[in-house]
Formats: sequence, structure tokens, C-alpha cells
Amino acid sequence: MLNNNIEKPSAGSPQRELQWQQRLYETPGGREILGCIQCGTCSASCPLTDQMDHAPRELFALVRDGAMEEVLRSNTPWFCVSCYQCMVRCPREIPVTDIMYALKRMAAEAGIFPKGHKMPGLYKIFNQDVARYGKITGSILMGRYGLRHPVDMASKMGTGLGLLKTRRFDFTPQKMVDPRKIAALLKRKRTHIK
Amino acid sequence: MKYGFYPGCSYKSEAGYKESVEAVCRAIGVELRELPDWNCCGATSMISMDAENAHLLTARIFALASKYGFDAVVTTCNACYTALRKTRKILKADAGLLAVINHQLVAEGLGITLLPKVRHLLEVFYQDIDAAAWTGKSPAGIGDIAVAAYYGCQLTRPWGDVDHPERPQMLDEFIKRLGYTVVDHSARTLCCGASHFFPYQDQCRPLVDKIIAEVRRKGAQVVTTLCPLCQLNLDAGQETRKGPPMPVPYFTQLAGLALGLSPVALGLDKLLNPIDTLLRKIR
Ligand code: SF4
Ligand code: SF4
Repeated sequence: MLNNNIEKPSAGSPQRELQWQQRLYETPGGREILGCIQCGTCSASCPLTDQMDHAPRELFALVRDGAMEEVLRSNTPWFCVSCYQCMVRCPREIPVTDIMYALKRMAAEAGIFPKGHKMPGLYKIFNQDVARYGKITGSILMGRYGLRHPVDMASKMGTGLGLLKTRRFDFTPQKMVDPRKIAALLKRKRTHIK
Repeated sequence: MKYGFYPGCSYKSEAGYKESVEAVCRAIGVELRELPDWNCCGATSMISMDAENAHLLTARIFALASKYGFDAVVTTCNACYTALRKTRKILKADAGLLAVINHQLVAEGLGITLLPKVRHLLEVFYQDIDAAAWTGKSPAGIGDIAVAAYYGCQLTRPWGDVDHPERPQMLDEFIKRLGYTVVDHSARTLCCGASHFFPYQDQCRPLVDKIIAEVRRKGAQVVTTLCPLCQLNLDAGQETRKGPPMPVPYFTQLAGLALGLSPVALGLDKLLNPIDTLLRKIR
């Protein structure tokens, strides 16, 4: 919650905070945050606000305050499920979901992750599998995730068994004919784009 | 009619999606030509970590469409649909980025010469196929099945251009055309938890509960979906729910039944919550 009377627990250096804020404003649609009227429509529309450190409206208030380290550390963007409900409803047409994506990328780049959140790791193995095989296989992804979170996995046995019984569990990954094409493509960008 | 087809990663192992799409397309004369050696669209994952790579993944799919001469790409997954449409919009507005991306693709002998339209199979079924192809074939008893149409998030959003973002009608109208009874409800575009459902089951289950409770309250006997992730979440997410489980068939499975195709040919035995009791209504 926003409370200006207590010191912010995770304030970065003012200069760094300002840099991050500028970077966010420079991403496509980022500057639109300045037009946010703090109406709260996004927060009221969001399916997972009850899990979020800051609901979207509040997160944008923090951005404008320059409290960027707190923003980047918060679990809010990682709990964003990309349902676009906020975006289609925002009276100022602010691309809220795209800003959540941008914040995730900035946090990932800065190596700041909300403690214990499971999405950064899941995205990582998903993206690794894409780079390796060119395609994703649900059951393989679940298996790799399960190795990281064995306790979590136990609660999913029922679903796993159900998929087995209905012959929907793949034991080998689906692949492109030549997955190296994707690995090469994804690597090549570093030398050309930006 | 011939279409370039992008099945996406979740298509093959799903609860009879592939079976029913193929059977229905055969029955009504739609030819889906799979783009050879397609790659994952990156879904919401790649764009969360790396925007340029996300654009490259989707751009390669567009380039395949160019190579094989398709001016439209048809998908069966809402997440693919939105990932593709978002990149399309960006590339359409940014010739510079398109040129850079084409430069990356050239090593594989690919390039985007025309940005293809991105369409969901529902749009093809509803808009391109003559309504008469669907009507009048339904076996007796189809009208006794009460269906709730569930669209999920990513068909009508983020831009609300395909259909109304909160009260879409396309799937409702299509199901009606097939001869089913359609129930009105307010959960059409509520979120099912998407990719968060897997790591955050307990947190996302209330979302599924809300959808199932709403459609049941309105008298639905099945809730139909058009996205593999929605189907899995609604189907598997009822595991701990009290009360009788609600079957979650794909819209293509309902289409197949209405065309008189056999439940097994439509992969209906692959649903986690069985639909057998309802099938007995069809004669
Ligand atoms: S809905 Fe838009 S204007 Fe309202 S608080 Fe959210 S971002 Fe700001
Ligand atoms: S797109 Fe993200 S932030 Fe917006 S309503 Fe959905 S989950 Fe919440």
C-alpha cells in the first residue's frame, strides 16, 4: 500500500530509479502512464489483484512517484495473466498489459525478481524449450517444472493421471524438422536488432 | 476452401481438438494446410522476457505464410491468435522493424512479403462457410443440450475489434446455428487463469469456479471453448469442485456432433469430465 509517511522499504538510488522510469517511458506505450487518471478500472477488472503486491492502478502511481525499484521488485507484473481486461476497459486507452510485459523484461534484465515467485522460472524453461526444439510440449514443460517444484507437483498428480488416461500425455517433445533454425534465429537478433 | 493453418503447440495432444477440427473440416470441405515446419509463437512467455525474440518467432510464422502463398493464417488457439495479431500490428506500423526482421529471416531463405491476416477457425466457420452448411443436419436431441459459450480472454481482446470484448456473440450464434440451445450468461470473457493455472492452481481455481458456477446457474449442461488452454483449465480445474462435473467440449466437437459425426471420431472420449450422459440425448 502507498504510504508516504513510512520510508519505502526497497528504494534504489534516486539516479537509478530515474533511469528506470525513463526507460519505461521510452518503451512503446510506456509514456501513456502519465495520462493515467487513477480511476482504478484496471485494478477492479484484474482477476488476480488479490495476489498482487500492488494492484495495477497503484503500481502506476508508484511508477510516477519514481519508486521504480519497488515497482520492479513487486510481484504484480508476474501475476499478470495477460487477460487484457484492464487494457480494453481503460478510459485513457493505456496499454496496461504491454506495460506489465515491459516491466517483466526490465526486472529480468536487472536480475530483480519477487522472492519465490514461480513465473520467472516457468517462462525461463518455456523459452529454453522453444529455443531448443522450436516447439513446446505441455507434458514435458510440466515435467521440467516439476523437477524444480516437487512439492507443488504432488498436488497436480490428479490432472497428470487424467491426461495419461485420456492419452494426452506426451513422453517425447515435439520438435521442428530442424530446430537449429530457431536457435540460430533467436541468437542472431543480438547482433542486429538494437 | 483452402487456408494456411498454424496449429500451435497445444493442438496435437489436446482433448480431441485435432480429431474434431480435422473431422469437421473434412465434412464441410474446408482444407487446412499446415504451414510446414512451423515454430512456437512464444505465447505470453517469450514476450515477458525478450520482446525481440518474441517478434522473431511470430515473424517467422508470417514468413512461412509468405513462402507458401497464404494471405491468411488460421489458428485454433486464443494465445497464438493474440501473439500473432499483436506482432502483425507492430510490424504493420513499423516498416523499419519489418526490414530488420526480414534481414534476420533471410539466412533461412525466408522473408515477409505480405503480412497475412490472422484468423481464428471460429471466424472461418462462422463468416466464410454458408450458414446452410451447418443447419438442418443435426440429429434429433441436439436441441435438448444447453450450451454456454465461453470465449476466454484473448479472442476478443486486447482491441475488441473481432467481437464485443465483454459480450461477444460469434460463438453463441455459431452454436445456435448448429441447433443447440444456447444459454445467456455473464462469464463469456472472464479469465480462466491461463498459464498461471499450472503453477498457481489454488490461486486460479476461484476463477474457474466462478465461470462454472455462473454457467450452471444459467442452466448450461456443457460449456464450450475455443482455446486449448481454456479447455484444460476449465476441464481439469473442476477436480475439487463439489457437485456434478461439467463437460468442456471444444466448439469443433459440438459442430461435429451436430453434423452427425461419431463421438469417438471427434475425440470426445478425451475429455476429463465425461460427456457420455449428454450424448445419450442425441439420437
Ligand atoms: S484504468 Fe487506465 S486510467 Fe484508470 S487507473 Fe488504470 S491505467 Fe489509470
Ligand atoms: S491483463 Fe494483467 S493487469 Fe490487466 S487485468 Fe489482466 S491480469 Fe490484470
